[in-house]
Formats: sequence, C-alpha cells, structure tokens
Amino acid sequence: MSNDQHPEPSLDLEHLRQAIQEEYAAVARDPGRGYHFHTGRRLAKLLGYTSDWLEGIPEDALESFAGTGNPFRMGRLAPGANIVDVGSGAGLDSLIAAKMVGPDGQVIGIDMTPAMLHKAQKSATNVGFSNVVFRMGFAEALPVPDGWADVVISNGVLNLLPDKLTALKEMARVLKPEGCLQIGDILVQKAVPEGAKRQIDLWTG
Amino acid sequence: MAAGFVDFEITWQADVFSGAPQASSAAAFGTQGINFRARKARDEDEWTAALAALTCDIPISPLRL
Repeated sequence: MSNDQHPEPSLDLEHLRQAIQEEYAAVARDPGRGYHFHTGRRLAKLLGYTSDWLEGIPEDALESFAGTGNPFRMGRLAPGANIVDVGSGAGLDSLIAAKMVGPDGQVIGIDMTPAMLHKAQKSATNVGFSNVVFRMGFAEALPVPDGWADVVISNGVLNLLPDKLTALKEMARVLKPEGCLQIGDILVQKAVPEGAKRQIDLWTG
Repeated sequence: MAAGFVDFEITWQADVFSGAPQASSAAAFGTQGINFRARKARDEDEWTAALAALTCDIPISPLRL
C-alpha cells in the first residue's frame, strides 16, 4: 500500500503481522469459510493455473490457495533451477515449482504462519517431493543464502508488507546475478489516503 | 529498480476480487491482481546504467534575478 522507502511510522508492524497471521491461519484451517478474496481451485482456474500444473497436487495445498496472480504465466521454471517462494502459504506454488524444476532443482518455501507451513510440509510429504522444503521466516529477512536462487516467486504477499523496498532487496540478495522475479500481486488504481494506510483491517481485507 | 532490478514489466492484470464471498475494500481502490517480472542486474554497471536512464533532464531557463 505504501511506495515509500520505509513503513508508515505509526503502523504497528507486530500488530499487522499478527493480524495477517490470524487471517491466513483461518484460511489454512477453514478454507471454505468465505473470505474477501477467492480461494482454492476456483481461484487457481481464474488465475490461469493449468490442469497439468495442478495434477498430483494434494487438495490440502490447493484448497487454501489465496494468491492474486500467477507466477508461472511468465514462463515455466527450468529443470534444475533453484527457486524461492516468498510467502508460500499452503504450498501450492512451491509444489508446482518442485514439479517443474524436477529432481535436480530445489525449492525453498518461506512463510510466517505456522498453520500454513504445517499444511505445506504435510502436502510435500504426502506426494513424496524431496526437492522442496518449507521454512519459517519473514520476507524482510529471508532464511536463504546470498545468490542461491535462479528465480524468486511470490503470490499475493508483497501487498501485505509495509516495507516493500526491504523485501525486494532481500529478494535481490538471494538471487543470482540475472536471476528473475516472477510475482503475482495487486495494484491499486486509486490513491489510498494516508489515514487508511494505518488501518490494519484494510491491509488484511 | 531501487532494490537492484532491471527490465521490470507488468505482464497481466485483471479483477480477481469481484464475486468473493465477503465484501472487500478492493473495489473502492480499483484493486486488480497483477503479474510482474523483473531481472536482477548482472552487475553494478548494468544497474547504474538502468537507474541513470530513468533520470529526466529538465531544461532550465536562466533565472531573472
């Protein structure tokens, strides 16, 4: 919501993170409840996820999908590539990435919501994908070495971060030179009033 | 670009919130889902050149004091 170089000074980052964790823990536990965004298979179809990408993906990972775009529409991930998925949620994009890069590639999914991480790891285990791991972490401090990734993907996450520049610098840090960002997110076409930027409920809904 | 990227491009955008079960503030701000891509510069020189290309040269008329 902010394109400033630093977060709004009066926005409580911890409070915002807690609100986001609560919202997405609910999406993990009760994906069919009905949210202000679409979820699950219907959303994946709306965003152009193809049947072959979704084939073999556990329903647990698909039902809690809550992206806003499609990182794979900008090009398939190359076999053998290293991928970082920032805000991996229930793991749908990480698992699709793991299928695309194959056994010679690796995927690291990072999320700050324990319920989502648990769900993602369970799905990876259930399908026997050994080339994907999920780690607890924040987009502003990715638990990934410098220059590790060929591609960073993310879907519906940057808009939840007050300090977007720090998050983007982290993505640049973990990428190899000439590595790519492939991101799904949102844009707002009308100016958001300064006061509204400090309303936690507008960030989460 | 300030983070070290070049070749930024929005490749797709669409309304992805309408019809969601709960009301949202998305419509009030014209919110759309997007896909975008960018590439990490190969080195400092490429990044610096890309940043420089963003600079606008504004013709300055002599001030009358």
